[in-house]
Amino acid sequence: MSLLAADLRAFFAAGLKEVRQQRRYPTLFLGQLFWPMLLPAFWVLMGRAYSGNDPQALAAFAERAGSSNVAIFVFVGYAMYNWLSALLWGAGTALRQEQLRGTLEAVFVTPASRLVPLFGPGVGMLLPMAVIFASNFLALRFFFGIFPPIGAVIQAAVIVVLGIPALYAIGALFAASVLRFGEVAPVVQLIRGMFVLACGITFPVAMLPLWAQVWAKILPPTYIVDDIRRILLRGDTIADVAGDVAIVLSLAVVTGILAVAVFRYLEMSARRTGMLGQF
Amino acid sequence: MGEIRAAFAIARKEIRAFSRYRIAVASTVFTPLYQFIIPAFLFGAAFAVNGRAAGLAATVGTDDLPGFIFFGGLIGGLIGMAFWGVAFSIRMEMDTGTLEATWLTPTHHETVVIGRALGSLFWFAISQVALFAFGIWVLGLRLRLEMLLALPAVLCAILAMVGIAYLLAGIVLLIREANFFVDTANFLFGMLSGTAFPVTLLPGVLQPIAFALPTTYAIDILRVQALGARPLFDPALEYVALVGLTLVSYPIGRWVFGRAEETMRRRGMLAQY
Repeated sequence: MSLLAADLRAFFAAGLKEVRQQRRYPTLFLGQLFWPMLLPAFWVLMGRAYSGNDPQALAAFAERAGSSNVAIFVFVGYAMYNWLSALLWGAGTALRQEQLRGTLEAVFVTPASRLVPLFGPGVGMLLPMAVIFASNFLALRFFFGIFPPIGAVIQAAVIVVLGIPALYAIGALFAASVLRFGEVAPVVQLIRGMFVLACGITFPVAMLPLWAQVWAKILPPTYIVDDIRRILLRGDTIADVAGDVAIVLSLAVVTGILAVAVFRYLEMSARRTGMLGQF
Repeated sequence: MGEIRAAFAIARKEIRAFSRYRIAVASTVFTPLYQFIIPAFLFGAAFAVNGRAAGLAATVGTDDLPGFIFFGGLIGGLIGMAFWGVAFSIRMEMDTGTLEATWLTPTHHETVVIGRALGSLFWFAISQVALFAFGIWVLGLRLRLEMLLALPAVLCAILAMVGIAYLLAGIVLLIREANFFVDTANFLFGMLSGTAFPVTLLPGVLQPIAFALPTTYAIDILRVQALGARPLFDPALEYVALVGLTLVSYPIGRWVFGRAEETMRRRGMLAQY
């Protein structure tokens, strides 16, 4: 068997291991149903409080957000929020979990490429991600009686699939970086907070100061959320957002390379200092 | 007297232990900022017409958006204190294996809950001062002297939350997946109390639950006094409901905690989770 084929097998084995572990903790799936349904639903109610059904207030929102449909706007934003949460707490902390359990050294002495433990756990996030998106759409349908046109939903799904490499790369970069931190949970909160504030999760990016809008432009989730909203709310097509998709894919490549570089640096440093098992 | 000393000693220990985790201390301010306050403010501001929150004024009778968010967040923080600072911290002690040692001291077990509540109140006060300073400095939050009139309602809410903390601690001691329970129950309790929007916007089936929570009245009284918002009911009636629910929640909480403890002793569950 060639080295590449062996690494591919190891890669899918690493993904399968993550899925198996998730299966052992069924309450994790409860969370993937609860939060995508109720969190955005309550924000829609907040939107109702802020709009007061006042036509002028709704028009002002539409001018800033591109649509007056607050429910879809919020649900799309929260789909990204939950995706990021699952990513950062799952694949993003996978290496750290191995470190905590004392199994990272064992993984490192296998003949598999170092890229396998870095990128493999991301495969295991595909299932929770699918559950999160399905819960989102179900909540939108049953709580608010809204279901966007099926053609638009399919195109939005294509945007999500095209966005996976970028989110995958963010997870890997985070996973490599947090090996240096003693406490991971507050770092997850910090990074997720940065995405929440910059990427237009619950409010239009137009509400941010100019410097923050520029910062938002280098974060892939900003484009993914905006493109899905454009397709579901304004009737745009994939062709209309092709430029954004190209940017997202380019950012995915850059982030992926950065993740590998950070991981290599930390691994080298750990070899020299013997700190792999210390945290 | 001994129990009061023990309660303060437990509070001191909690404050000391938590202060060792600097990032965790910072996140008591940062997390509410990014998870609720800033997004809610920018979301609400997106509905503003000529810089005025006309939609909010139509819904609750005040266009003071930062005030609406911060005073809801204040009681939301109090709710979080009971759920995470008291109930979940007992679970943490169970996880770290020190609950047995604590239980074997001559201190009443109820005092342990009170001590943790005092310790959590300290961090709650610190974080609220920082959050309100941020609100005044960055988001244009204005405080009115009339808000002091709502102090009895806030004190009542604190007492009610101690009762609820007993109840939660009892539940947390008995269940295995405490994290998910505390996280979701904390969120639902806050939302049903109207921390983020008036409870009148809730679906009809949830409104009776909202009106059975003492925090619903505390938030409403606070917003009426501090912002001049339109009350849900006559404020005098709201005070009666708040005091009544506080008086009920305390003994119920103590009873559930006592039962949970008895069950644990009978089944030898103290070290099982």
